[in-house]
Amino acid sequence: MSIASSPSAMERDLRIDFFRGLALFCIFIDHLPNNFVAEFTLQSVMFSDAAEVFILISGLTAGLVYGLAMERQGFVIAGVRVYHRVWQLYVAHVFLFMMFIAMVAYTAGALNNSLYAEEFGAANFLDEPGVAVAKALTLQFQPAFMHILPLYIVLLAVLPFVMAGFRSWPRVILFVSFVLWLAVQLDKRIALSVYPGPDGVWPFNPFAWQALFFLGVWLGWRGTAGQVSWLGRRWLFCLALGLSLAGLMIRLNWTLHDFYDPIPVLVSGKLLWMFLSKTDLGLLRFANVLAVALIVARLIHPQARFLVSRVARPFVICGRNSLHIFCLGILLSVLGHLVLNEFFGGIPMQFAVSAAGVAIMISVAALMEWFAAAQGTSRGSALGAPTAGRGVRG
Amino acid sequence: MTAARMRYAMVIAAAGIALLFAPAGAFGQEQECPVPERFYAFEPPLTKTAKALAGGREVVIAVLGGASTVGLAAGGPNLAWPARMSSVLAGKFPSARTKVVNLAVARQTAKAAAERFSRDVFPLKPTLVIWETGTMEAVRGTDVDEFRETVQAGINELHTARTEMVLMNMQFSRETDAMIQFGPYLIAMRELADANDVPLFRRHGIMRYWAENDFLDLRSREAEKRRQLAAKLYDCIGHAMADFVTRGVAAAKAASSPGSDR
Repeated sequence: MSIASSPSAMERDLRIDFFRGLALFCIFIDHLPNNFVAEFTLQSVMFSDAAEVFILISGLTAGLVYGLAMERQGFVIAGVRVYHRVWQLYVAHVFLFMMFIAMVAYTAGALNNSLYAEEFGAANFLDEPGVAVAKALTLQFQPAFMHILPLYIVLLAVLPFVMAGFRSWPRVILFVSFVLWLAVQLDKRIALSVYPGPDGVWPFNPFAWQALFFLGVWLGWRGTAGQVSWLGRRWLFCLALGLSLAGLMIRLNWTLHDFYDPIPVLVSGKLLWMFLSKTDLGLLRFANVLAVALIVARLIHPQARFLVSRVARPFVICGRNSLHIFCLGILLSVLGHLVLNEFFGGIPMQFAVSAAGVAIMISVAALMEWFAAAQGTSRGSALGAPTAGRGVRG
Repeated sequence: MTAARMRYAMVIAAAGIALLFAPAGAFGQEQECPVPERFYAFEPPLTKTAKALAGGREVVIAVLGGASTVGLAAGGPNLAWPARMSSVLAGKFPSARTKVVNLAVARQTAKAAAERFSRDVFPLKPTLVIWETGTMEAVRGTDVDEFRETVQAGINELHTARTEMVLMNMQFSRETDAMIQFGPYLIAMRELADANDVPLFRRHGIMRYWAENDFLDLRSREAEKRRQLAAKLYDCIGHAMADFVTRGVAAAKAASSPGSDR
């Protein structure tokens, strides 16, 4: 964001890789059922959680890469590159769905022969596999944990047009994007429905979440080039700091209250619920992730020594291979579900499953890095959303 | 085997804790399916129910819920948990007249249940309403915010009608947990209970605890065996809920007469 002073915007911004890696680990851990470790992820210290971080960073990256591509290669080439990426995401979505169907088919017999058949039977999609599969292909069927990719796909699909708009009328586009977000806050009916209805909606409302993504795109494109002067203002930093601290205090207080009931609640959740919708990206979630991002951008240099250290390496390599590691994380969380519900084992087991999952994610990322290096090109790591440095080369 | 021994030790420990907290066996769950103290602790008292029970007039407890409250899997409403709770409560409060009315309908959404308050629930003049909900929403993937608003509106309505309530969350099953995302709905119900000072009977957690400690393995391929397991499960839930209500009543009595011993 405020990295205008860095020697060249072409250099890789390691913060993006690092925090995307962190978000990927948190997404995996948060998806495990009844997981004690999930009390220590991003969501326990801020109103937002890993989903906001992931979408914001994806926006920033897209802005960096495709913004540059648009300036150098023109609208058409940049557009084709975006749609190539959309295709990759779509294939990943279908792949995950295939895995999900395999699991459902495997457990369906057990479900139908259980005393839950009547209650949970509506969740048995194999009753009408034709419809379920077709609806999955049109992104209308989003089984457990398969919500972020469809959102990302539709956002990227409109990205070329939004970026073309940014080039001519940035303020208008940002304003429209914000107004659309605001409209969703005021009228919950602005949503996309999902199968199997009748009252299901996309768990991440694209009409709301687009505001975070496209703001990220604009900041990634213009902010990094130092063209957004007010980002460096002192009052903005103070505001962000205040907001983040308030978020930290309130959220931490709630977590502690969950641990031990007699610890009093400082700010009742009831007052804030309307601003905390995850589906519609409530105001506090939106503001908190932006505030934290601003602070991070100001305090951490893109090539800070910590980011190239050995400790940060696992995060960086996972963030760099984000699409693969994201999909892997989803699969691992489903497997983790099965393991935790079969063997239980309490908190030690939850720690063990969380640690094992993260270790597998890191190992696969390391393998991909090694393979990319062995091939002597940077192609291998281009599987994540392409990064700035590579965008220039490619 | 260390695992077996450890499990054994855990059972003994759990039983020990249950004994420790059970004054003269009043709240002792029949050892088959004990409920750890943490599922009862810190729940708000049931003041009005305590008063009504002491008052001598008929105390009506209305129950709303889905298939698991109807008791379909066990074979009928007389084997459902509300019926089991009723008979346990009758034993615990022999001098009071309690009447449990099971209004549950299979696959009913929270919204549909809430719409029945004024039509089906209030005419019964219930002292206590037990609302089992959340399952259909999790199964269908209803917007969590909408679910939260629906339940909040229901709580408000009961509050306005000066009716006391207990919320009850979903069942736990190993088979569905990876398919249906219960997490957000469980959190929403916990937050609702917390913010409104409404007691929450954490059925999901309790059933998970039973599965975890091998008190109740609900898996069987035979239909008749499954029916028996369901009957046993509902018996356990009924007992646990009766204990839960008894605890709420005891807490209310303790609060109203601070000088006396509990």
